[in-house]
Amino acid sequence: MKFDDETTDVLIGGYMSKQAAMQDYEAVLASGGYLHGAVVVSKDLNGNLSVEQTDHMVREGAAGLGAVGFAVGLFAPPLLAATAVGAVIGAGAGKLLHHRTASKLEEQAGATIPIGGAGLIVAFPHSAAAKVVPAVTRPIKKVVGEAEGHHVQALKGAIADAQQKMAESGA
Amino acid sequence: MSEPDRTKLPIRRPSFGGVANRTLAGSEPDWNLIGHVEPPAGAPNVLLVLIDDAGFGNPATFGGPIATPNYTRIAEGGLKYNRFHVTALCSPTRAALLTGRNSHTVGVGSVGEFAGGFPGYSATLPRDCAPLPRILRDNGYSTAAFGKWHLTPDGQQGPAGPFDRWPTGWGFDYFYGFLGGGASQWDPCLAENQKIIGTEPEYYDKENPYYFPDAMAGKTIEWLHGVRAQDAHKPFFVYFSTGCSHAPHHVAKAWADKYKGKFDQGWDKLREETFARQKALGVIPADAELTPRNEAFPAWDDIPDKLKAFYARQMEVYAGYSENADHNVGRVIDAIDELGELDNTVIIWIWGDNGASMEGTITGSFNELTMQNGIPLTDEMQLQLSERYGGMEAWGGELMDPHYGAAWAWAGNTPFQWGKQVGSHLGGTRNPMVIHWPERATGAGGLRSQFTHVNDVAPTILDIAGIPIPSSVDGIDQEPMHGVTFAGTLTDPAAPERHTQQYFETVGNRAMYKDGWWLAMRTPRIPWVLTPQALKPYTPGVWDPDADPVELYYLPDDYSQAHDLAAKHPEKVAELKELFWAEAERYKVLPLLATLSTFFGMLPPLPEQARFEFRGDVQNVLSGMIPRIYNHSYAISADLVIPKGGAEGVIVAEADHLGGFSLFVADGKLTHTYSMMGVFIYRQQAEEPLPAGEVNVRMEFAADAPKPATGGEVTLFIDDRPVGKGRMDHTVPVRFSGYAGMDIGRDNGGVVDRSYEDKKPFPFTGTIKKVVFDVKPHLTDEDEQQLHAAAHHGDTAHALAE
Repeated sequence: MKFDDETTDVLIGGYMSKQAAMQDYEAVLASGGYLHGAVVVSKDLNGNLSVEQTDHMVREGAAGLGAVGFAVGLFAPPLLAATAVGAVIGAGAGKLLHHRTASKLEEQAGATIPIGGAGLIVAFPHSAAAKVVPAVTRPIKKVVGEAEGHHVQALKGAIADAQQKMAESGA
Repeated sequence: MSEPDRTKLPIRRPSFGGVANRTLAGSEPDWNLIGHVEPPAGAPNVLLVLIDDAGFGNPATFGGPIATPNYTRIAEGGLKYNRFHVTALCSPTRAALLTGRNSHTVGVGSVGEFAGGFPGYSATLPRDCAPLPRILRDNGYSTAAFGKWHLTPDGQQGPAGPFDRWPTGWGFDYFYGFLGGGASQWDPCLAENQKIIGTEPEYYDKENPYYFPDAMAGKTIEWLHGVRAQDAHKPFFVYFSTGCSHAPHHVAKAWADKYKGKFDQGWDKLREETFARQKALGVIPADAELTPRNEAFPAWDDIPDKLKAFYARQMEVYAGYSENADHNVGRVIDAIDELGELDNTVIIWIWGDNGASMEGTITGSFNELTMQNGIPLTDEMQLQLSERYGGMEAWGGELMDPHYGAAWAWAGNTPFQWGKQVGSHLGGTRNPMVIHWPERATGAGGLRSQFTHVNDVAPTILDIAGIPIPSSVDGIDQEPMHGVTFAGTLTDPAAPERHTQQYFETVGNRAMYKDGWWLAMRTPRIPWVLTPQALKPYTPGVWDPDADPVELYYLPDDYSQAHDLAAKHPEKVAELKELFWAEAERYKVLPLLATLSTFFGMLPPLPEQARFEFRGDVQNVLSGMIPRIYNHSYAISADLVIPKGGAEGVIVAEADHLGGFSLFVADGKLTHTYSMMGVFIYRQQAEEPLPAGEVNVRMEFAADAPKPATGGEVTLFIDDRPVGKGRMDHTVPVRFSGYAGMDIGRDNGGVVDRSYEDKKPFPFTGTIKKVVFDVKPHLTDEDEQQLHAAAHHGDTAHALAE
């Protein structure tokens, strides 16, 4: 029998404004739920990318997460064809890599995050889901993926699961 | 000189009454030859004010929540009319107002953009219906129109005219305003007389930014001063038709902030408050009842708490915008007062042309064109998109084109049901009117309750000016005016009611009024829904208008239409139904639903032009006249000369960041930005800089499929060599903008790509020899026909929102 702490969840939210993503990001941080990490990536109307991320992922070390890329489907207006605009998000391990991580995020997300859009990614143990998930109230689209474990492979698995759910929901 | 025959226009010049001999010896001049037509003695000045998209329950003068001190002061010095009626749609009301005839008869059963193939919907004024400004001008008035026009078909708003469909062609000596149904108040694409002048230079002044309502009043005052400087006595006719309170709801934050917190109680409570004030003011009868909320509108209590502030801000901005209109009308009135002519100026001020507009749908929108393009956005999406452009505090600012939610409009139409487009009910057909004429009107501050209609205004003005309705104009026998003068009510509160019968029809919603009875025949379609499913019941051969549900009201006893008497009086229902059909035939209303005829396959011929060349400095091509690239594969190419040091700037740009495209050079590289209504923004850039010298650049869009809003691939070329690419998942299916123009060599007004905002209008620093649009035909005639239909469906949807 596995414990909730041995399952990693990844929540992906897509937004039409940075403000909405940041509001949820801050709500997640204040939720009291244990986090592996949280990231907001957004692009303003001039095309400038910005990245906000917690240090949790770094603090926990996350066992050398390395660069993990995935696409975030933002949203899909019902009358129009499905869209698959997204952000490529990576994460690095170790406090010294924090700057490099942010740079990597910008580099990878720059090509795919839509102008004016934003994405929120939160990784947390399943045991924290009851606190974390309800705190995310404003995404146009929200999915939660999960995978067993709490190390790199689990995070990758949860991300893949979330991606799959996003795709299936028409993103 | 004897009084001329004014029944035939133009009035004949007097024949020479002197003597012309072979030499001056014995010759006698006749100085009457160089005179001009004089109006009848005592003919007053006329200021005709029309506020747009506003409801009976909006202005404080009639119990509403919006401060209207100038409207109130004019009402206190004049007369309030509380049973004045309009047509439930912009252009038809304007056509009836300015011609004195029913709108269908003059070809304006629908809006100006929509020129249909039936006489009542051609958007083309028949020559046997000479309009009021023409009659006044030919009788010696100086005439001018300022603001919204909305009576020129979409495809006729350029330098090729024809100009008989422009304000000057209707008889105005001078026009300053916009030809369409709505306009940005910050960067409108304006017309002056017979020229599209685009965005005023003051728009670029950051210290004193341009604001159309202020400029409109300023131009009016300037024109009045000019006329008086030349002629101290010639009466004027000024038609002051505000863009306010039509969307986009644009106003400076300070005006909106005056209403902070004033709408936190929501629309249900607001209606109750307005209704109580209306009773207290006596502008509605003491026994009037507040009609209930139709289920098409959500209850305020059902709105999620997190969104209530968003909704409340929508109304705060609308209120500030409307109060600003009152302020600017007040400036014009003050100017007339300063000229010493207020007593002899008839001010007719109508607050709203079709009730308040419900076209913001339930959610309201940061960009009203999203709705007209069929992009469904939830209220949370709308909120986030408004945040993208500055947030709620910026609602009303330059970066958004907002429209409030439909329930606010319903509250603005208190105490009635429904609103704009619903010609069957008073919410769309009854608006406040105030008349001020100290020299002749009596009983200042009084209320008049005679049934009056917008087509009565022209005959009333002519009546009080002593000018007959002409029987012939330019040798063409004239259709009589359908309205009747209500001049008698200016001096007699008990003057007999002269307008005893009137049909109403807007988008199939119809009513028949006769001697107090009102038969309402509303098509059971939510006004802002134009989906195939919603329209299916109206398919030719399927729809039986006589099977539509009916409601019967007796207005003398039931001011607000609260008690349906149809079941009690079937004979009256039958009588009014028959009368409606007779009137509809007489006044060219038929076929019913001609406004929506494109949805049922009645399309104009396919356009043949697929290649459009723009040479030289072509600017301000209005949004309805740009090459129809929507839903098609297309290419935009340009022949350029790039100087040795390189070039930058816009090659061609349409509209702005809330919908449009721009092909430009930034950092030496060819760049294309496409805004899908501000919701999706795509940008592609060449991977190499442009070379110096003569060069051809091209942007190609290869559509995925011939379908509305198709996605597709973009490729950028330099001299036929691909240098960049990208994908656009969604494109604009109907129209980028209702008001912004297309420019060659610059991006006038608000820009498409915000990255060059600081350099706007970002003129091209090289040379543009020509820009060519090539709209690629699709493979099959069937595809092309389907896209043609979709385009016209969209145009109709757009038009109905104007």
